[in-house]
Amino acid sequence: MNKCAEKEVAFFGKITAGITHELKNVLAIIRESSGLMGDIMSISPEAIIKYQEKIQNSMVRIKDQIERGVGLTDRLNKFAHSTDETIAKIDLQETIEQLITLAQRFARLKHVVLKTVPLNQKGPPVTLVTRHIQLQMALFASLECCLNVMSAGGEINIGIRKTKEKNAVHVVCKGDLPVQSEFARNISESEKWPVLQEIAACLEGSANLDETEHGIVLCFPEEIGR
Amino acid sequence: MQIKVLLVDDEKDFVETLAQRLEMRNFDVKTALDGDEALGLIRESDVDVIVLDVLMPGKDGIQTLKEIKELKPLITVIMLTGNATVNTAIEGMKLGAYDYLMKPTETESLVEKIMSAHKIKAEHEERIRQAEIKDLLKRRGW
Repeated sequence: MNKCAEKEVAFFGKITAGITHELKNVLAIIRESSGLMGDIMSISPEAIIKYQEKIQNSMVRIKDQIERGVGLTDRLNKFAHSTDETIAKIDLQETIEQLITLAQRFARLKHVVLKTVPLNQKGPPVTLVTRHIQLQMALFASLECCLNVMSAGGEINIGIRKTKEKNAVHVVCKGDLPVQSEFARNISESEKWPVLQEIAACLEGSANLDETEHGIVLCFPEEIGR
Repeated sequence: MQIKVLLVDDEKDFVETLAQRLEMRNFDVKTALDGDEALGLIRESDVDVIVLDVLMPGKDGIQTLKEIKELKPLITVIMLTGNATVNTAIEGMKLGAYDYLMKPTETESLVEKIMSAHKIKAEHEERIRQAEIKDLLKRRGW
């Protein structure tokens, strides 16, 4: 297995482990909520009336968790299908939204919130013909670079800024951050920075430190060479 | 006497529901959503058994366990883990955790573990009491 393929497998493992952990939490909540209803019903027929509020709350929890589980499996399924074609035409905004859902748990462990920024202009979706899985790896690596140097309570906004010349993805960090130059130095010294550079190069794109904001700018060609 | 249990997990719905189920089984239950909140509760109240999630935002389960053991070494801790973090749970046992359980867990298995963990703590406390009495009697020449 070559190095690039090894990185893809590792990326797949990391994302899948994160999502399945979330799914375990979903199942644990459903199990406890249905178990609580069972506990109440086993006391006596009258207990159902006495603990009506608890039963209703449990039913709401189960419904919420099923929706959460459906959302997670939907994202995980789309993620798994991103290997169907090595090079494919993809919607960049949709890919960002997908990746943010998949990466939310990693950010939450650092007490950081991830948000997508809507496209700054109307019109057709921004599409790229690229290696879908590597594009997600690049987005994830840029998040990891930021998460490694951010403190708790921060926020990362990811959005496309489309100009005539290029499609740039801006990863902008907010919160209790050092001055821009120090923040940029911290990112460039993080262990994930060379990884991000390598993936961006594989995609014939670039990853640079943002000169005006706390963050990273990723640029990708509209169509990758085959 | 009710066994005092502290549940620590960042999944609010999970800890709240599990707390209600344990309360119905006559446990005295408190909940915390992260390590710092748990340590605060331990400082200000009596706890017999802690059920501690291994992977949490902020202070993780292992760090929280170390601080619990520094603060109140006799409290027994059961680590709660997903498959991927079993090694961390085992590391926790090396650091003094009583046992671990996989998530999602059967409530009855958890109840059994809590009872055994409490028994261990109670026996330990009793041995300390006996040793203190023995020491006191010896010093008084009885």
